[in-house]
Amino acid sequence: MSEQHPPRRPYHTPLTGSWWLKHRYYRLYMLREATVLPLLFFCGCLIAGFYSLQQGETSWLNWLSFMAQPWVMALNALTLAASLFHAKTFFELFPRVMPLLPAPLMIAGQWLATLAVATLLLLLLGGLL
Amino acid sequence: MEKTVEKTLVIQRYNPEHDQTPSQQSYQVPFDNSTSVLDALLYIQQSLDPSLAFRWSCRMAICGSCSVMVNGIPKLGCKTFLREYSGDLLLEPLAHFATEKDLVSDMTLFLQHLQAVKPYLIRQEQSAATTPASKPQPHKQTPKQLAKYRKFSSCINCGLCYAACPQFGLNPEFLGPAALTLAQRYNLDSRDQGKAERMPQLNGKNGVWGCTFVGFCSDVCPKHLDPAAAVNQGKVASATDFVIGLFKP
Amino acid sequence: MNQPKRSDEPIWWALFSAGGVCFAVVVPGLLLTVALLYPLGLLPENTLNYQQVQQWLLKDWWGLAGLALAGAAICLPLFHAMHRIHHGLHDLKLSSGLMGKVICYSSASLLSALALYFWWQGLG
Ligand code: FES
Repeated sequence: MSEQHPPRRPYHTPLTGSWWLKHRYYRLYMLREATVLPLLFFCGCLIAGFYSLQQGETSWLNWLSFMAQPWVMALNALTLAASLFHAKTFFELFPRVMPLLPAPLMIAGQWLATLAVATLLLLLLGGLL
Repeated sequence: MEKTVEKTLVIQRYNPEHDQTPSQQSYQVPFDNSTSVLDALLYIQQSLDPSLAFRWSCRMAICGSCSVMVNGIPKLGCKTFLREYSGDLLLEPLAHFATEKDLVSDMTLFLQHLQAVKPYLIRQEQSAATTPASKPQPHKQTPKQLAKYRKFSSCINCGLCYAACPQFGLNPEFLGPAALTLAQRYNLDSRDQGKAERMPQLNGKNGVWGCTFVGFCSDVCPKHLDPAAAVNQGKVASATDFVIGLFKP
Repeated sequence: MNQPKRSDEPIWWALFSAGGVCFAVVVPGLLLTVALLYPLGLLPENTLNYQQVQQWLLKDWWGLAGLALAGAAICLPLFHAMHRIHHGLHDLKLSSGLMGKVICYSSASLLSALALYFWWQGLG
């Protein structure tokens, strides 16, 4: 080739750590990922529960009153919301990763499982079982 | 017919010969119900500013070359219409790729990643070439076998999913949605015998495991082939391969 | 083309997925009853008394219910959470190296071990 071409000079902007703020879809993704933060708190509560259970009755009563503190209940209400949001996203992803049955059926089945566990616990702790 | 309504297109310009950084330039474009973003770009190039660079070919959403960012979302220019936008349009080259000039992106990485997964039918046995006496046999496939991979087979290599994928943006070595979807497409094809050759690429940290199921790739895919599902089915395949690898020396 | 090294991610991904199922199926019911309705006084008070809970979690069935609860509500969800945090740190460009990974999964392992240890101690 006789003609001299100018050298290529591609321009590149690397992503910054705040890329996820730019679009609603990415913000929802980050929200989904962040559901594990309140979950960690609840796991901590349960570890404390197991600890107090083997310590003795006084310790167990202390744990129960800890769980009834308003700030703990507020955080756990947030955790419940987080777990339901996580469940919604997780249940919708599952049939796409493992397409075993029609997607709506698989999603409904998974919600049914969540509901069954909640009902069982309600009956058990409601003294009806 | 007289086109009286106009729209403002703000376009990111970059000329490698004399610009240090990209800048923006606005154009007024007349439009009607049938004016696509690509039509608008062609109008600008022909009537307002011949120096504007962009890619296109088929104008019918099949060649995959007219990909641009419209208001921050990856789109095919020929499949996106000005009537869909109430305000101005901001056009930029594809995110996560380097820009050659104006709206033209450097797709080298994308093509390398596609190549890495060997996106073609691989047969182990020697074909008719070595045994000219026997006639080459067609590889038959039942509708059920076809259905297994069909929805992953309509990729047009437009690269929109890469511009939607933050994991590719964060790590350009990540093979990315289209390549991993193609790998899955061939791995699911009953005529193919090349899965063992593709799995090492998928098993690496830049293979399927680079994905965190953001899922935006499936949202922007102009052919609706759900690349996120394909990549995550690839995770199941790779995890299975991992377990098998534990029992095989 | 040289072959990339096989990732150990299948292990963490399997734990993440199992934990994700627990987080979605088991955790909401637990939160609703133990963490909200009971402290609010909407469930009979004696169902969570010391002897009753000991019976359920540590005595009946050799304490298998306690083990199942620890696994499904603590250990697996912990691995789920730390997996997302590990990848989240990469997403936020805060960490991408081995360090973050080691810290995330070892803290999940340690806390899980702690929960199982308390359960074991409780068996008496
Ligand atoms: S011009 Fe071919 S896909 Fe748009």
